[in-house]
Amino acid sequence: MTAGDADSAVQRHKASIPSLKAKDYKSDVKPVWCPGCGHFGVLAALTKTLAHLALPPERVAVVSGIGCSSRLPAYLAVHGFHGVHGRALPLATGLKAARPELTVIAAGGDGDGFSIGGNHFLHACRRNQDLTYIVMDNEVYGMTKGQASPTTQPDWCRSKLTPHGTGIRRFQPAAIALAAGASFIARGFAGDPNGLTRLLAAAIEHPGFAFVQVLSPCRTFRPEQQAWKQQVHASELGPTHDTAQAAELIQRDDGLSLGLLYEQRIPLYAAGVAADAADDLTAAERLAAIEAEHCR
Amino acid sequence: MSPPASDSVIESVAELLAHALELEYASQAHYEQLADSMDVHHNAEVAALFRRLAMLSGEHAAAVAEHAGDLTLPRIPPWAFNWECPDAPEGADCLDPDVSYRMTTAEAIAVALHNERRGHAYYVHVAATATDAEARTLAAAMATEEVEHVALLEAMLTDAGGDQQRPAQDDLDPPHMPA
Repeated sequence: MTAGDADSAVQRHKASIPSLKAKDYKSDVKPVWCPGCGHFGVLAALTKTLAHLALPPERVAVVSGIGCSSRLPAYLAVHGFHGVHGRALPLATGLKAARPELTVIAAGGDGDGFSIGGNHFLHACRRNQDLTYIVMDNEVYGMTKGQASPTTQPDWCRSKLTPHGTGIRRFQPAAIALAAGASFIARGFAGDPNGLTRLLAAAIEHPGFAFVQVLSPCRTFRPEQQAWKQQVHASELGPTHDTAQAAELIQRDDGLSLGLLYEQRIPLYAAGVAADAADDLTAAERLAAIEAEHCR
Repeated sequence: MSPPASDSVIESVAELLAHALELEYASQAHYEQLADSMDVHHNAEVAALFRRLAMLSGEHAAAVAEHAGDLTLPRIPPWAFNWECPDAPEGADCLDPDVSYRMTTAEAIAVALHNERRGHAYYVHVAATATDAEARTLAAAMATEEVEHVALLEAMLTDAGGDQQRPAQDDLDPPHMPA
């Protein structure tokens, strides 16, 4: 064998095994989630997705709010920002505007995203900036020891705060995302990391605001959610590009159907285009100018 | 759930090795995750066990990669592997109801045993269904190796008193919920 043959063999070997593996996207920080928590499945799916898409870690940023699921950025070896409660989307919006070359992912839970962050959710949907928003929905505030969240059933009475249930209709994330103008709506399950990987890959590649609701059981405060494993099912109609059809599908949905529910190609948010055209500043220089303007 | 793979039959040694590699990586990742979890929850004994299992899976992955040599393995998206379950057989289940921060060594071994048996069943299945004769032979050899892993874990389980119930102990951090 010549040296050239050997080099060729090595290259073939290297080509056969992906250079970036899921573990390359994990940080050394050990998750404090309860063993058996669904969020582990989301972490696994996200790292597999990033490896599959071969996104360089330095080109990815994950931004979160507050809650068990919002600890996600700490467990990843990409850029991360653990923000304040309900503000994952404003932070992600600003980051993407300033650094459009980054793949920006916002993540959090149902309480963070649909309660205190609910208004941001609406406007992120209609703004259609190129972001991916992952909501790990376990229908409970877990970090604060189990209170009803916007997606909790009205008759759930296992919290001392609401011993007779909230009596309030549940927030319908997919329906509200559709009504607010989201261009990509999907639902995955933490117990199916590989299926979730497929959805996350599609969401990240979607040009626009991609919303992925992930059913992620809380084994501590909602142990009955373990039954989701037997209850989830593929969406009956599959993805649609038709808004009216999607509305009908989502309204009839039992909340446990999985898959890409809706996708539409619409114009991306173009904030800064006028400013970009008006000057030759880089994003960092523009940011410094804005700071100088507002910090006088 | 994961969509069914377009072709549920292994057709080549390269395809089998790609699956074996993914299986071992998933196994390693899962055991590392469990070890980290047990560390965080101060269950040092079980953490050490999972750490050891992760190391063994890493060694198995290295052995598979070495076996692959200069063979070009197909690049298979995570959702397109031909598993019978949502994740790789030894990658186990992130929602495993048997996993707890208070789990004993015996319970941890039982979880690992379950995973290894699924891994064994997978290779037996491939040995019976692969369309390529060489892949069937290799899968049968891998199944034999898995039998050894299962036997090792069974012996460990016996040593750890696998039939014993978890000793009653106070949960120092219980969820505060109404009865």
